[in-house]
Amino acid sequence: MPPGSLALLAQGAVVSLLLAAAAIVGGTLLAVLLATIAFSRFAAVRAVYRVYVYVVRGTPLLVLALLLFYAMPALDLRTGPYIAGTLVLIVYTGALFAEVFRGGVLAIPRPQWESARSLGLPPLAMFRKIVAPLVTRYTLPPYVNVCVMSVKASSVLSIISVWELTLAAREIIERTFAVFTILGLAAAFYFVMCFGIDRLGRLLERHLALKGFAGERA
Amino acid sequence: MLRSRIRHVVAAALVAILVAAGSPAGAQEKSRMDIVLERGKLIVVTLTTVPPFAFNDDKGQLVGFDIDIARLVATALFKDPNKVEFVSVSAEGRWPAIESGRADMGVGGTTTYPDRAIRVAFTRPFIDSGISVLVSKKSGIKSLKDLDQDKYTIANLNNPQMADRAKRFFPKTKILTFDTPSAQFLAVKSGRANALQIDTPSAEYWAAQNKDELEVLPGLLGASQNNGIFMKPGDFKWWQWLDTAVAEMRTGSWYPQYSEIYHKWFGKKPPPQKFYLQQ
Amino acid sequence: MNFARWVAIYGPTYLTGLGWTAVTAVGAACGALIWGCALLLIRLSAGRWGARGVDAYVQLFRNTPVLLPIYLIYFAFPMIGLPWPAVVCGGLALILQNGAYISEILRGSVNAIDRVQFDAARSIGLAPWSTFRKVVLPQVLVYSIPALGNQTVLLLKDTSLLSAISITELTMQAKLLTEQTGAAYEAFIVVALLYLLLVSGTEVLFRVTHRAVRWR
Repeated sequence: MPPGSLALLAQGAVVSLLLAAAAIVGGTLLAVLLATIAFSRFAAVRAVYRVYVYVVRGTPLLVLALLLFYAMPALDLRTGPYIAGTLVLIVYTGALFAEVFRGGVLAIPRPQWESARSLGLPPLAMFRKIVAPLVTRYTLPPYVNVCVMSVKASSVLSIISVWELTLAAREIIERTFAVFTILGLAAAFYFVMCFGIDRLGRLLERHLALKGFAGERA
Repeated sequence: MLRSRIRHVVAAALVAILVAAGSPAGAQEKSRMDIVLERGKLIVVTLTTVPPFAFNDDKGQLVGFDIDIARLVATALFKDPNKVEFVSVSAEGRWPAIESGRADMGVGGTTTYPDRAIRVAFTRPFIDSGISVLVSKKSGIKSLKDLDQDKYTIANLNNPQMADRAKRFFPKTKILTFDTPSAQFLAVKSGRANALQIDTPSAEYWAAQNKDELEVLPGLLGASQNNGIFMKPGDFKWWQWLDTAVAEMRTGSWYPQYSEIYHKWFGKKPPPQKFYLQQ
Repeated sequence: MNFARWVAIYGPTYLTGLGWTAVTAVGAACGALIWGCALLLIRLSAGRWGARGVDAYVQLFRNTPVLLPIYLIYFAFPMIGLPWPAVVCGGLALILQNGAYISEILRGSVNAIDRVQFDAARSIGLAPWSTFRKVVLPQVLVYSIPALGNQTVLLLKDTSLLSAISITELTMQAKLLTEQTGAAYEAFIVVALLYLLLVSGTEVLFRVTHRAVRWR
């Protein structure tokens, strides 16, 4: 194995993780906003949500990234690959998270809504005490799934020259030709990150189930 | 009361948007020269896989002839060669990085072409270049004519000039297109392609590193060419300064520094600074 | 130049890209389906080690990005003497990746088949392979059509990554056009619209198939 490549790959892995983290945080915030739009009273506003999700899910991530990266100059914004790449990831994961949240809200059985309303709770309290815990329980597995997808999606950004694990691996390979070794190592890094997130998610699920989701056990 | 206040806010927002949209096209934009001096740091976009112009060495540090030239420019501006930030892109990413204002200037084995100059402005050349063909010895290609056959494949970079040259010099050869020179190189090394076309210094560098497998075909594809520093067009103050800097490096007061860099990367003396001053 | 004129002039050049995208998507989808069924068969018939092997395979491909096998097969295989053409390399990577996901989809559907059917099949003397072919597979496939449709859409979008190994599909075409014409976003907007069209078409296709088959 070429000297120094393990260190470079590790650095790349950290960047991939940071990109995924930014996508997860930004995407979740965006998704909360989108989910509220999805349940708006006005059909026109709901249509905005549907169009957004349709476009983002129907276009390959690479094309979205290239579009943003090349369209940026036309919008006269001073961005380089990193900002464009992070923005694209947030837009992408935002749509995915929004669908997860929307599915979670729709999965709440009708009786819960009716009893919540009959309690006369103000909307914010209703959200906090009833909707949020139930949605969390229903959406944790798909949410963790999207988190794992964020890590994998960061590898696509290598094509718009965002330096992360895949690009680091490519650069080392193009210099040293140790294709099998380096790609194997890169795969190992990704595996550890994705599998780790998956396991963490399952641990969280079990922990929350023990504590009781909607406050069943104090 | 509230309604009129809302109206004011909306009007202000609209004005702000219009001003922001209008100002890029406006002629009173600040020169990049002033922006750079204020910032105290130079931002340079570059390819990073074109040895010996710009590439990562074994420690992962960005080095190369063009990198050192960019540092020389930073020295001229700030008396400090480290006041540079490099933005690394693939071949087609050079133009958006300049057009969006992310980078002040660009280097990286970038050749001056008229159609390219519509999008970015070039200084006078800071080094002569040309395009050579690097072939794998196994393929048995000895000349351009040999290359021009259906059974061979050449790796191109994804810019229109490469495609043009391919059409002109070897129309029958199959073409693979990649977005970085190192991907082209990997294609040849792994046997995906039998040849690649790239700037002569890069071809010679790779051939020197791989004497048993690769060699450079004699002759240039087309004419001797110019590699320059590129930047956003229309900014006369910035272009004038950069061009002056390059002129001084090649033919004037900064020739010693330029010579040193040239010798470091090419192992020989650069062309004399004036034709009547033979060295 | 304005958008409409640009499309009018450069529109037809997208046909090559469209063709390659369609060909690789259809080829890889069929291949992935077959490979997914094969993985299912291995899981069902090769005992505990078969199931564990398939599990490991699925976990490997679920937790690594698809660009890695694409690069590996394209750049590394020629070095060990297998210089397959780019389309085969890219297609193979897509098949390996999506086959894993499809086998998981099919596995979920297998549990929906009533256990009684297996007993019935054994009682009329059907060999395991025939049981798989005549009893399990048809029902599993029909049951999975919506999920398979979803996976096919993901595969279709992944074909855009084949531009990294120099296959002239839609995304590569857009990059070349951007360089050639200097048009920043026209090229990519057209490509995005074409992908949306392809995705919608695929979804409609699967919905129609699902409805048609359910009648039986």
